[in-house]
Amino acid sequence: MLSLKNISVKYGSFTAIQDVNIEVNEGEIVVLLGSNGAGKSTTFRTISGLSKPATGELLFEGKKVNKTSADQMVKLGIGQCPEGRKLFPAMTVQENLKMGSYIHRRKKEEIKHLLEHVYELFPILKEKRNDAAGSLSGGQQQMLAIGRALMSKPKLMLLDEPSVGLAPLIVEQMFGVIQKINNEGTTILLAEQNANAALKIADKGYVFENGSIVLQGTSEELFANDEVRKAYIGA
Amino acid sequence: MEILIQQLFNGLTIGSVYALVALGLTLVYGILHIPNFAHGALYMMGGYITLTMMTKFGLHYWIAIFVSIILVGLIGVLMERFVFHPLREAPPIHDKIAAIGILLFLEAFAQFYWGAEYQSMPTPYGQVVQIMGLTFTMQRILIVVAALVVMLLLYLFLKKTFMGATIIAMSQNREGANLVGVNTNKVAMLTFMISGGLAAIASSLSSPINLVFPGMGQLVILKAFVIIILGGMGSIPGAIVGGYILGFSESLGATYISNDYKDIIAFILLVIILTVKPTGLFSKGGQH
Repeated sequence: MLSLKNISVKYGSFTAIQDVNIEVNEGEIVVLLGSNGAGKSTTFRTISGLSKPATGELLFEGKKVNKTSADQMVKLGIGQCPEGRKLFPAMTVQENLKMGSYIHRRKKEEIKHLLEHVYELFPILKEKRNDAAGSLSGGQQQMLAIGRALMSKPKLMLLDEPSVGLAPLIVEQMFGVIQKINNEGTTILLAEQNANAALKIADKGYVFENGSIVLQGTSEELFANDEVRKAYIGA
Repeated sequence: MEILIQQLFNGLTIGSVYALVALGLTLVYGILHIPNFAHGALYMMGGYITLTMMTKFGLHYWIAIFVSIILVGLIGVLMERFVFHPLREAPPIHDKIAAIGILLFLEAFAQFYWGAEYQSMPTPYGQVVQIMGLTFTMQRILIVVAALVVMLLLYLFLKKTFMGATIIAMSQNREGANLVGVNTNKVAMLTFMISGGLAAIASSLSSPINLVFPGMGQLVILKAFVIIILGGMGSIPGAIVGGYILGFSESLGATYISNDYKDIIAFILLVIILTVKPTGLFSKGGQH
């Protein structure tokens, strides 16, 4: 479905990621592991069209999308819940969600269904639907960011560190919902530092270090790998 | 008492014009996050284009205003495309310098093309009407009513349409808007179009009671800056309320303090607001 072939991204003369190869198949949950600054977010920015690759090929459903702009990527079916959430803080929860279905803006009925679906996944959002997004707690904002990405009915959803800064109980809940979204047919690419929780639901994973992929394998393989256990699971 | 009511009405008139100018400025501030110093030049261009349409082409006042809205809106779009868009990755100071450059260019252009002399704009609404023993000119009533209608339309557009909501969304988080599928280039152009249109409406309405000249935008834009600082940078209700506050203070100050100090009032307000509440009256919590 999505493949990155020898992708490198540069910010000026600084190479943020180098020769990255990632393959995501339909229906999978794929996780990118790595510490801060390892290149996960840059990879995401590149897939969503915010940053452009300097070299390499970015393919989505067999089409080369190296130069496609971020708004076109959403139309192709890639939804992103970005690092820092990037919500519209002074708009209400419901307005944020409605903006999420911007590409379906002419289909009023569909928006209604999508909205109901998101409220089903995150009942707390329904309760707070008239509150400003900026007034929500961190966990609720994260739910809203995921909900907003879902509103575009993406084929592939990018989730950049959905567990960052959340209480352990909420993290568990969040990963439950992510799995549910995947079961409903959305392919998921997840960036995480919480390897334990992420590998439990993922099919396979890639480990980033200093802008390159140093290790890849199925979840079981990574879970059993000593270095991964030492660096990201702490066991 | 009569003088007070008369002056309150004058304040409402001036405030309406200020609010329209400040609205355009605040919308663009939301998108660019820089103060668009060239906005005053758009106001001036609006006055000249309406005047030219009426005197050279013999168009009716309303049609002339309509042409002016379209043309000044287009100048705004061109500004965005050729100046601000290429500078979007540059340090913010570059936008500010560029904006001043556009301002100087447009003023020099007006002086070259239309001449430096003061010109008056004819209006079909020169009549004087008596309401409850008070005299009003039709043009002033027109300014107040037209400004209210324009603000109402703008409010409905921003609040009730998806297109309008994208402008608000983009001003709150540009990348976030991009990531839900909004074409941020188009929205930026649309915002400049609306901003230019508002400036054209404001100057076309106020020119018959003031005059048209190359520097006519300077004082207005300075005051519009005071208004959006007063109301909170980027805030739409702030621009409207701030506009009326300044309008009332000026007309009352001119009557009860001194007409000579009228233009200073805005800047005294600026000093007070920066001392007491530097974020402005309507600054949004939780943003940035």
